[in-house]
Amino acid sequence: MNAAFVIARKDLRQRLRDRSAIVVGLVAPIGIAAVMSLAFRGIDTFHFTLGVVDADRGPLAAALVDSLHQPELAGVVTTRPLPSRTLAIAEVRAKKVAAALVIPAGFSAGAESGHPKALAAVTSVDNALAGNTTESIVSAFTAQLNADRLSVATALASGAAPSDARQLASLAAQLRIPISAVDRPLGARELKPISYFAPAMAIFFLLFMVSFTARSFFVDRSQGMIERMRVAPVRPVEILLGKALSVFVYGVVSLGVIAAVTTAAFGANWGSPVAAAALCVALTLSVVALTALVIGLARTQRQAEAISSILVFGLALLGGNFVFLGAAPPLMRSLALATPNGWALRGFTDLATLGGGIGAVATPLLAVLGITVVVAAVAARLAPRAVRS
Amino acid sequence: MISLAIARSSLMRLLRDRTALLFIVVLPIVIIVIVGATVRGFSTWRVGLVDMGGGSAGREITKALDGAHDLAVTRYASERALATAIARGELSAGAILPPRLTQAERAGRPAKVALLVEHANSSSQAAAAAINSVVSAVGARVQAAQFATRHAGGSFENNLARAASVERTLPRVEVETLQAQRASSTLPEGFSYSAPTELVLFVFLSAVAAGAAIVETRRLGIYERISAAPVRQRSIVAGEALNYLTIALGQSLLIVLVGSVAFGVSWGDPFAAGVLLLTWSLVGASAGMLAGTLFRTPEQASAVGPVLGISLGMLGGCMWPLSIVTPLMRQLGHITPQAWAVDAWTNLLSRGGTLATIFPDVAILAAFAAAFLVLATARMRRVLT
Repeated sequence: MNAAFVIARKDLRQRLRDRSAIVVGLVAPIGIAAVMSLAFRGIDTFHFTLGVVDADRGPLAAALVDSLHQPELAGVVTTRPLPSRTLAIAEVRAKKVAAALVIPAGFSAGAESGHPKALAAVTSVDNALAGNTTESIVSAFTAQLNADRLSVATALASGAAPSDARQLASLAAQLRIPISAVDRPLGARELKPISYFAPAMAIFFLLFMVSFTARSFFVDRSQGMIERMRVAPVRPVEILLGKALSVFVYGVVSLGVIAAVTTAAFGANWGSPVAAAALCVALTLSVVALTALVIGLARTQRQAEAISSILVFGLALLGGNFVFLGAAPPLMRSLALATPNGWALRGFTDLATLGGGIGAVATPLLAVLGITVVVAAVAARLAPRAVRS
Repeated sequence: MISLAIARSSLMRLLRDRTALLFIVVLPIVIIVIVGATVRGFSTWRVGLVDMGGGSAGREITKALDGAHDLAVTRYASERALATAIARGELSAGAILPPRLTQAERAGRPAKVALLVEHANSSSQAAAAAINSVVSAVGARVQAAQFATRHAGGSFENNLARAASVERTLPRVEVETLQAQRASSTLPEGFSYSAPTELVLFVFLSAVAAGAAIVETRRLGIYERISAAPVRQRSIVAGEALNYLTIALGQSLLIVLVGSVAFGVSWGDPFAAGVLLLTWSLVGASAGMLAGTLFRTPEQASAVGPVLGISLGMLGGCMWPLSIVTPLMRQLGHITPQAWAVDAWTNLLSRGGTLATIFPDVAILAAFAAAFLVLATARMRRVLT
């Protein structure tokens, strides 16, 4: 057993001397997670300035403008009065306002007669979301107007006397649409971009350990290092254990440092330390098993490089380490759950948003460990051959 | 002639390396598929829906939500599943249709659709406004049917059907949309986004990672052996440049071909696209040569190369459109050649650009290529002597 520790220590020391290990294990994941989090800083806060042209100045126009200032919309939209439709179009085109609302002259009078005038939402293709949101907000206002007009017209069509039309209209004006939407709190924190991309990048670069270790094993072998070890009273299992131990220590330390740095410097939320640590350990075990699998499958250094590249990039792409999986189609989200990194990332996401302790990530933990056991079982049949041959 | 021979031998060595081929050929196409499937929906809100037994009234709201052009609706079985999906960032907001919605409507009782929203998150609020607008439109017909039943008689069901038919002919207070700006300053969504941006990302990334080959050539002493023959340094540099340019151009053409055949990407004005491809290949080739002279070991090249390529790609708008990031990040992004290349592709694909309109971008890219090439040549000469 002692031999395994010696081999692990030698591998770790060798890795630390090669500065690329520090780049891959620490600098790159923290740097890229920081870039991603800076880039997406604005994306969870959606706010736009809406130009408002009130050419009507009637009571309905005033009510409409008031509805834009309701407290629920305070975080979404700020309004800016504009004098004319022409200027509104120019301001949207110049990106001075994200969208504009034009209330035409005679709007209030028209809405009460049979010939209502249309409101106009001025939008830009570069800010479709602001345009669509403007339409939604304004539509919620016009819905009540239309509902009242529809109520009178339906009553008349159902047999009410046409002479009552005026009285019906004043009754309808007091109605409220009977189906309303009411907010219910979510009971979860929102997922900050850094809380997704910090674990995503830490895991992505941890996967690179598969390539590095498998490659270094075959380099050792071609330099006769493995043979020299075998001359000593060291069993093949101990050689493999030593290699595995070095990967494990490097992996856990790398994940731990990244978690600490991103929490302290960028406010990433890794959730409960115990649960996060358990996920890190399970995931690193799966990386050890994957490394053993590559060593078992490959016969030459070149083969090891090829197999591990396919494995690393395949897992990273499927597991959601590159792109934010929340936005991906459901099929891709299901495929992510075929990978240990995908499960771990889901665990970290749940810890950051839904909270909870180790019990909250029981499923991701078991899934990662399950995949690890299967991979390790296959590797255990194949890998000793690589040491003996 | 000698340059050609050097380029050929370097190229042959690369073609025999299957791992390198994987990075140059397979990986870009896989990533085009994945990014293409993910980078869409910047003009719609993803919302979830749970129907707790709303009956016919619930079905009507569901249909209206499905038809709303600014909403992409997914159904969930329980409130818990819906809340988890919102927490994981899969949705912006969710709606829960209450049980016995139909009965409430018939009895004239007010009904409440619950909206699950994250209050601190304003995009969640905007998505909720979109759901609210759809629910109000459905509620309008219910209001009309209840009103008619009270003031004109008849059954609620008949009046609801009548409200729906009256609604079709009744002039409404409409909200018209006026497009102030039609020509987009972002690439189209889906594969038309991912194919050009991954071309920009990978031609650069593979070239920098292929810098490992120059490091290897140096280590094997091949340059020294060539120099022993009556070969001028200029020819060696030209040969390597030709090799890298061939790889970059080959990879570009492959992505263009696969993009247009498999994903239906239209690459815009062919002449302008050709010039842009050539210029970008020059940027990649010269960056690759520079990387080859700067790295000390092949390990460094293959560890730092992809990291550098991916980081510059992210900053330059290859992984997500720069229009969604903060203005500061957008300016910062334009330090990278990638951002200028993506700008040029946007001009070609989204605004029907020509060589004249992308000329400023191409000129800046050419300046990047020239700067890299001068540095690389200077470094190569030092490495060779």
